[in-house]
Amino acid sequence: MTTNDLVSSDAREPPGGSAPRRASWARRILGRLEVRMALLALLIAIALSLLSPYFLTRTNIFNILDQSVVVGIVAVGMTFVILTGGIDLSVGSVAGLCGIVLGLSLQHLPIPLAIPCAIAAGGFIGLVSGCLIAYFGLAAFVVTLGMMAIARSLSYIFSGQTAISNIPSDLSNIVYTSILGIPSNVAFLLVLYALAFAYLTYTKGGRTIYAIGSNKEAARAAGLSVLFYSTLPYVISGALSAVAVTFSIAQLLSADPLMGNMLELDAIAAVVIGGASLYGGRGSIVGTLIGVLIMVMIRNGLNLMGVSPFWQGSAIGAIIILALLVERLVSVRAKR
Amino acid sequence: MHALSRVRPSEILKATGIDKTFDRTRALQGATLELRAGEVHGLLGANGAGKSTLSKVISGHVIPDRGEVVFKGQALRVASTRDALEAGIAIVMQETSLAPDLSVLENIFLPELGRPGRLSRGRLRQRARELLARLGHEHMLPLDQEVRDLSAAQRQLVEISKALALNTDLIIFDEPTASLSPSEVERLFEIMDRLRQDGHALVFVSHRLEEVFAITDRVTIMREGRTVAASLDTASLSQSDLVRHMVGQDLGSIYARTAEAREPDRGRSGEFLLAVEGLSAPPHVVDVSFGVRGGEILGLGGLVGAGRSEAAEAIFGLRPRARGTITLSGRPIAPRSPAEAIAHGIGFIPEDRRTQNIVPDLSVKENLLLAHLGAYRGFGHGYRKREAAAARLMERLGLPADRLLDTNMLTFSGGMQQKVIIARWLLLEPAVLILDEPTKGVDIGTRSSIYAILREVASQGVAVVLISSDFEELLGLADRIVVLSDGRSIADLPSALLDEVKLTLLAAPRTSMARNTALLDAISADHSGAAFWVLIDSDELICLNLVEAAGSPSPGLRTGEAMRIAETRISRALMERQDGFVAETDVPLSTVLVPMRNPRGHDFGWIGLTVDSRMSIPSARLIRTRVEALMSAD
Repeated sequence: MTTNDLVSSDAREPPGGSAPRRASWARRILGRLEVRMALLALLIAIALSLLSPYFLTRTNIFNILDQSVVVGIVAVGMTFVILTGGIDLSVGSVAGLCGIVLGLSLQHLPIPLAIPCAIAAGGFIGLVSGCLIAYFGLAAFVVTLGMMAIARSLSYIFSGQTAISNIPSDLSNIVYTSILGIPSNVAFLLVLYALAFAYLTYTKGGRTIYAIGSNKEAARAAGLSVLFYSTLPYVISGALSAVAVTFSIAQLLSADPLMGNMLELDAIAAVVIGGASLYGGRGSIVGTLIGVLIMVMIRNGLNLMGVSPFWQGSAIGAIIILALLVERLVSVRAKR
Repeated sequence: MHALSRVRPSEILKATGIDKTFDRTRALQGATLELRAGEVHGLLGANGAGKSTLSKVISGHVIPDRGEVVFKGQALRVASTRDALEAGIAIVMQETSLAPDLSVLENIFLPELGRPGRLSRGRLRQRARELLARLGHEHMLPLDQEVRDLSAAQRQLVEISKALALNTDLIIFDEPTASLSPSEVERLFEIMDRLRQDGHALVFVSHRLEEVFAITDRVTIMREGRTVAASLDTASLSQSDLVRHMVGQDLGSIYARTAEAREPDRGRSGEFLLAVEGLSAPPHVVDVSFGVRGGEILGLGGLVGAGRSEAAEAIFGLRPRARGTITLSGRPIAPRSPAEAIAHGIGFIPEDRRTQNIVPDLSVKENLLLAHLGAYRGFGHGYRKREAAAARLMERLGLPADRLLDTNMLTFSGGMQQKVIIARWLLLEPAVLILDEPTKGVDIGTRSSIYAILREVASQGVAVVLISSDFEELLGLADRIVVLSDGRSIADLPSALLDEVKLTLLAAPRTSMARNTALLDAISADHSGAAFWVLIDSDELICLNLVEAAGSPSPGLRTGEAMRIAETRISRALMERQDGFVAETDVPLSTVLVPMRNPRGHDFGWIGLTVDSRMSIPSARLIRTRVEALMSAD
């Protein structure tokens, strides 16, 4: 096709050239979902501070951060799982079971040994789910649904249907110790997000997780360890559920078999609000953090305004759906 | 042509006696393949001949039941793609194996993620630049862009870079040109040529025979899982030799058409069954007009991205229309959804079989009756009534009726799938049938039967609109061709007047004609005349571009149209084509024609200037110099 010499092939770029590209820097920044969601979070914060004078006080801000710890920790594991295109419905029940494991271990073991026991239990459950999903190709939704039922049932059985309340009060140190003026549980949360961000963005393992979620066949063809990195997120998710419940117990000094009930929904909602695709491959840890903050802020604001807890579920559900709807409309228009 | 590869033939891979059975089908039976370093080796065969399976055996995607592969003098035992990659064998797949959410850089070095050691982005970036420079495309790929935003050609470039990043000695290209436009194919061939000169062995799997002749040194042909012709020199073969080996029999001309159909005037009369005026569906469709008569096959030509598929989607109600009218049998229609378009009698077969056309989990019968399900009004599915018609149709299309109940569409070859889809629409007895790239990824044997079906459909009075990037196919099949470029219909010509070169010139993006237009503008304004660009073929011409200054005399040309030279007002000048200005005898017009040739001697037609002969005639030398300056600017 020698005639192409004349019609210079470089001109195949879409017409427009560099001028609109320069003009659209704002659009490019707004094109990032995390940025849009951060703006939404800011908007919610402003609205709530107008509605309640108490919202922007120092105490309440620490309150919000404190309330973010449990769901925030679980949401990190959920982000890993969702990035591979999976889902983990069992996190709430696993948290409940690990809480009981921690409570029982503390009867016989010192704190520095009991916590690893609980985390190991969570990781082990994740390992079982992950193997069933990755090696046997079972649907993540079904496996973790089953695991959710099993874990909750076991937590009732192990606890004898009652809360374990004789928790050594030293455990509360992991929450209330101040590190550079920040409560240790909040500090832990921030460090965890920084680590997860670095892992997912800068390491081979992190990028492998994205690659698997984006195109599993491509990852396999490139010789990546698809099985290992499809299992790992469930282990992380299970282990982090145990960590989350540990902070919870440290505050309450009691382990209830019902702990973590419905936690999975908050965690999944936070990850999805943060821009992750349930098909995998898309999403980020920064987005998840914003998603967590949006969830917690709304709940906190509704509490401050004295909205009945029975109405709060409706309000939060509506806001989640609304946020995603607006997001979809905006991104469809951005593509035009 | 590529003597280099024959100077020192060194065998790099030899596969012998490869057997592979999937479930019940024997995909490979004693297949053989022998490759040399520094050659492009064509691997040909009809669909289902086993060439893809053989490629996958060599690249570790499929483990053979029996057989031996010797690579660089050692027995190759690959249990996984990973092993093949480590050994130095990579495959560039038909459906690209890239991760759309990762960046270009990460995709190129995807296998690096699976290796021990730390990830150094700076070093990878450096290496990626070197790789792309080796391919001559260092500016073509933004390394940080997400792959989902790339064009098909760019994705392929990423795949090739990915293969090179592993220092592979052998790269298999599995139907690499399937989704590329002609100029992109040309660029791919340049890359393949470079790789060949670097001593890589390349396997080129393709259906397109003209491409096989353009790029390969030797070919191996497969049929029904066996190697039927091994390592023949491409230069010693003719097209019919290849087809005979592939199909096992002579096929005759695949575009069998009657002499009467070749008449250029055919299709110039009669009312349009479907007429589209000024259709606009931003951003891809800007201004598209065309009409098609019953019994006619109209080709929509152009490059990938010219807006052809998008225009068809807009007509079919899949895409919102901003402006324009659609008329069907004289009545204006405005379908807002496919259901409405179907109700009007329009059928549309989109390009991507796998994602847009097939419901893989349903049986062939259900796939066949799927469109019927939407059109049928009633509570049950009403399949019964249509079964007889379906069976008749299957027989006509050469589909075995006993496979109607086969549970999985995906067990069929691409060509068979396409036949089922065409059959689905024929069951609805449409007035207009629009097909988008119906033979993409379809082997030559099935292709000719699809062509025969389309011709038969048209002969029954259906208006057929064929979208194809394969210019040869368009020219062979369509009665008339409407060329789209950058979302505009720019030419409407009988295909008898066209050839591939003319089509390529017409299909070129308008943006890249900017320099040509600028020249015409300048000449026209400076000499207050009409400046034009035409292709001349014996007593006919095609006008590619025309600029008329205010008040200038008209040469009687129209952009995008073909006409007989005698019909123009400057017939004498066009017939004589002399060095200087030629005055007409009947009208006061003087015209000079300057041939456009690039430094390599390729002919691009003629640039002309027509002025009023009663005014002062400019210097013909001056015009010639300006045209030559344009051509040597490359």
